[in-house]
Amino acid sequence: MANIELTDEGVLVVTLYGELDNHEANGIRGEVSSAIYAGKVQTIIWNLEKLGFMDSAGIGLILGRMRDLSPFNGETIILNPSSTMEKIFSFSGLEENIRHSTVAEAMREIGGVLNEK
Amino acid sequence: MKNEMTLSFVAIEENEALARMAMTCFITPLDPTIEEISEFKTIVSEAVTNAIIHGYECDGESLITLRATLNDELVTMTVEDQGAGIENIEQAMEPMYTTRPHMERSGMGFTIMESFSDHLSVQSTVGSGTIVTFEKRFAPMMETSRVR
Repeated sequence: MANIELTDEGVLVVTLYGELDNHEANGIRGEVSSAIYAGKVQTIIWNLEKLGFMDSAGIGLILGRMRDLSPFNGETIILNPSSTMEKIFSFSGLEENIRHSTVAEAMREIGGVLNEK
Repeated sequence: MKNEMTLSFVAIEENEALARMAMTCFITPLDPTIEEISEFKTIVSEAVTNAIIHGYECDGESLITLRATLNDELVTMTVEDQGAGIENIEQAMEPMYTTRPHMERSGMGFTIMESFSDHLSVQSTVGSGTIVTFEKRFAPMMETSRVR
């Protein structure tokens, strides 16, 4: 299950719940992609704080959306994954995208980066 | 403690969750840590998803069979399908290798299974199926939790 919110600053906050496997990823993919194709997204924050489980389908889902976002030079932040999820992300070189903070703090960090540009 | 189980289900994606749930119940007597549970569930999920997607292309008819034994702290499990089989196992196990990039398969399934299990082996014959076997050793239970 996913809750998707787009802020005025172009930050797409995707909060995931329950268990993210191949079946679940297939359901979420279209929703997130259409938000990106609308052209207003600068950054995606994947908030995993409430996600109970994730397998490699999570890597596919996030890498795929990074690809969708690349024409817009968008950033990707992976927020609060569990330690097992963190290992899974590190196998695919996504550890640099991981942050442990609140959504508001992550937004402030992005705000700072966007202002410097 | 010793225990043994067999579970078969048809190749539909919804059964990825069924397999994880059944296997989580099976290891509960070992009083696993949260980390152990999530690593074990991830291995199960990767192996079963492979069987559903690659073995049977989600045909909704063919059966996948899970067999597991619990021998004190050691859990041995096989995930078996009679589906497509793997042509080149070594290549299939390489990180990032996938035959289904359009489905956004990351190609990390075997890497994750290898890393989260204590032993992993794959037997496969093209046209007759695949058996993935893995072992995971759990930390011994504390005396206090044993007395519960």
